[in-house]
Amino acid sequence: MKSVEPALAEGTALVARPSSGGNEIVRVLKERRSALAGLVIVGFFVAMAVFGPALAPYSWTQQSGPVYAPPSSEHWLGTDDSGVDVLSEMLYGGRTSLIVGFAAAFVAMIVGGGIGVVAGYAGGGTDNALMRTTDYFLVIPDLVLMIVVATVFGPSLSHVILVIGLLLWTSTARIVRSQVKSIRERVYVRRARSLGASHRRIVAQHILPQVAPLLIATTVLTIAYAIFDESALAFLGVGVPGVSWGTMLERAFERTAMTQGAWWAFVPPGLAIGLVVIGCYLMGQAIEDALNPRLRVAHLSIKSWRFRTTPNVAEGDAS
Amino acid sequence: MHRADYVIKRLAFAIMTVFVAITVNFVLFHALPGNAVSGFIRAPHVSPSLRAALTHEFGLDRSLWQQYALYLRELVFHANLGVSFTDSQPVTSTLADKLQNTIPMVFVGTSLAILVGIVTGFLSAWRRSGVVDRVSTSSAIVFYALPTQFIGMVLILLFAKYLPTAGMRNEINNYFSSGSTWSNVKDIGLHMALPAATLALTLFGEYTLVVRSSMLETLGEDYVLTARAKGLPQRRIVIAHALRNAMLPIATLVALSLGFIVAGAILVEIVFSWPGIGQLVYSAVSNRDYPMLQGAFLILTLSVVFFNFIADLLYFKLDPRIAV
Amino acid sequence: MSVLEANDLNVWFDLPHGGRLHAVQGVSFNVKEGERLGLVGESGCGKTTALLALMGLLPPSAEVAGSVTVNGEEILAGGEDAMRPHRWTDVAMVFQGAMNALNPVKTVGSQIEEPMKFHDTSSGAAAEKEAGDLLELVGLPASAATRYPHEFSGGMRQRAAIAMALACNPKVLLADEPTTALDVMVQAQILQLLLSLTRDLGLALVLVTHDLPLVTQVCERAIVMYAGRVAESGAVDTLFHDPRHPYTRLLFAATPDLSGERDVASIPGAPPRLDRPILGCPFEPRCDRAFDHCKVETPSLLEVGAAHRAACHLNDGSLERPSDREAAR
Repeated sequence: MKSVEPALAEGTALVARPSSGGNEIVRVLKERRSALAGLVIVGFFVAMAVFGPALAPYSWTQQSGPVYAPPSSEHWLGTDDSGVDVLSEMLYGGRTSLIVGFAAAFVAMIVGGGIGVVAGYAGGGTDNALMRTTDYFLVIPDLVLMIVVATVFGPSLSHVILVIGLLLWTSTARIVRSQVKSIRERVYVRRARSLGASHRRIVAQHILPQVAPLLIATTVLTIAYAIFDESALAFLGVGVPGVSWGTMLERAFERTAMTQGAWWAFVPPGLAIGLVVIGCYLMGQAIEDALNPRLRVAHLSIKSWRFRTTPNVAEGDAS
Repeated sequence: MHRADYVIKRLAFAIMTVFVAITVNFVLFHALPGNAVSGFIRAPHVSPSLRAALTHEFGLDRSLWQQYALYLRELVFHANLGVSFTDSQPVTSTLADKLQNTIPMVFVGTSLAILVGIVTGFLSAWRRSGVVDRVSTSSAIVFYALPTQFIGMVLILLFAKYLPTAGMRNEINNYFSSGSTWSNVKDIGLHMALPAATLALTLFGEYTLVVRSSMLETLGEDYVLTARAKGLPQRRIVIAHALRNAMLPIATLVALSLGFIVAGAILVEIVFSWPGIGQLVYSAVSNRDYPMLQGAFLILTLSVVFFNFIADLLYFKLDPRIAV
Repeated sequence: MSVLEANDLNVWFDLPHGGRLHAVQGVSFNVKEGERLGLVGESGCGKTTALLALMGLLPPSAEVAGSVTVNGEEILAGGEDAMRPHRWTDVAMVFQGAMNALNPVKTVGSQIEEPMKFHDTSSGAAAEKEAGDLLELVGLPASAATRYPHEFSGGMRQRAAIAMALACNPKVLLADEPTTALDVMVQAQILQLLLSLTRDLGLALVLVTHDLPLVTQVCERAIVMYAGRVAESGAVDTLFHDPRHPYTRLLFAATPDLSGERDVASIPGAPPRLDRPILGCPFEPRCDRAFDHCKVETPSLLEVGAAHRAACHLNDGSLERPSDREAAR
């Protein structure tokens, strides 16, 4: 699933103050409700991924009940087509899906961030060459390339992670490059350059801290895409081996759970993926909004200013 | 004069990209170690005659560069993408057939998504922070987040009794050949309902958010205030100033997204057994039918390049500021 | 007779997290035909808001009170809908930095003709001709009508904006920092243009700016605003030579730097917050002549000369001040 976000994010106005990246993010998360909600959701699933399997009531691979049993007090989410407890599958599968999501996003962050910094900082020919490459990558439909690569190289956890990561780096690269370019021109960076600081030092001390918040915001959004892509790959039969939310959906489809009315076999993983994506989206968007304040008053709207007709009350109405 | 240069530049880029895509295709399938084709040929179930034909066709007995040249020549001059491993039919004609099935369904679903997206996006921006805004934005995000195949599966769960969920009687590209036109059209329509709806639900969210954001941006522009100061009626300002300018980023983003939808439709086609390109990719993957997979990849990449180019043209047409 | 009169204008803004900002507090002024009035003050003093309020160009978060009349006819009380027919036909506006005030995807000519069509003052070929004439009036070629805004320089765009403002023959032209972001030579040209328009067309001009030399060059009278209120008003010469409010005095006395810009922020301190009521005189914390009474009572505008008013207790002879006590000893 390719997003058209790169086009939106490129060239957005950037905050001028050299603030500490970490503080920005913490502040955003504390102040904005949507960011907090996102954090809670993602946090919940991360906790689930970490502790879930230990808390699973049954095995996620062995049969523990009848086939396609509806939710009951023994099996809170029912059982799947092989009689395996769905809840246990969800807990373990969540771990797999989240690992793929986070790892792939991490790969994308390193590659995209690296390329973005190099392109933005170096400028000129290097920049052009890197951007042309990025453009070509952008044009290739991710899903299809992922399928092709996974088919050719064979599916495995690391392959899937690499394939997803190596296709999602492009929007990160563009966004990072934009920001690096503008940071490079700032007074304190130019001063450092004129004082003879080495490129490496400038990048490490001045550029990276400034880029960090935006990079984190984009990476959070990338996690969402990665998890989404994992489920798509699984659906096509080239996903990770083992249990993940994506494979749960695929199996439910293969065994026609929908027409058998066994909604518990696919609704939980589907909703879980949706929730994690929403959580990541809310967090990532909130951070990005905070970093690129586009506080625009609409000059036209359905409502209008009000005229006060009663006599002017004294100053005490500023409440 | 230099405005036309922009078109030429973008066209050149498009052609370059196609070329790169073709090369990437070649590299993936032919050049890498353990490559797909030679691996397949060595497989025991392949008949000697097929093996000989493939060896000759892919030039496996020649050097890599020669293989590449052969591949290019076949592709560019003969539109020959090889022969399918599964049914020994030419890849190109199968692709063309299946594309005829995919495009109408994708067209309906996407048009619906764009329409809903534009209307809800606009209303959300216009009545900012109102109920419409909150509901539209929330549902946009929710449907955007749910996996496409999941939405399809839920629709099947809910509507299997009322609408067909698989198995069209005649593929669209055949409907001329048998049965009455009307009953065929109706059959196609009914079968298309759920897949197109799934596609629409999966896609509209992005459009709603883009339109909303673009409208809000435009409504905050100084020239909108100027238009209001001129005493123009609200309708005029919204249509001739706000929408007209917001259309620019919206149109280009929509065009850009179209290129990827054909690929995104893969999931929908699988869920509903829609006999199109997506379904073809799926079976090619299961059967390790590399020529088919390779051909499909190329077609899908070409569609992205094509729509990107259209997006460039649109941008060029709508924005008088473009200059090289 | 005043062509535009604002009386006891008040504007409140609802703040996003609750509370209200009282941005314009009881401002009154008037302009006569062909007269040029300046509205000066620091950024945030409410001068732009007051100007926008004259044409009702405020966001939904605003609440307005007071009266605005054009040739005696009230235009504010009816709200946005009632205001619309008066916009551009009675009062027109030129904004700061015409970079974006002109729609980038429409030709300059079409934007000048647009209000003519919608206010029914002209249409078709006649409108085209008028647009061409207006462009020539502001010093641009008539052929500029078929061009797009981005094809012009900042100064030329501002001229086009002025031409556009004159499209429906308004009686008053409001200008909000029309020359900021333009270079000095171009600034002078634009100001010259505005001067000649007021003389030749009898157009009244209200010019909002933070640039004092500009006001002294262009305007006959001026209103000095501080913290949403009128601090002093009168003829520009009088304000310069005989200021009766410490703020005015400090403003005009601020040393120009080498580029000729006067930095108003060279008065130490900052303006007060407008989201809570202010006790006493709003300028008191920064004033060099403040005394006890200033903390207690808000000064009202007092007549201190011919058409010269100031809101400062120093002008109130009935008040006892420390300097009087000393003089008496």
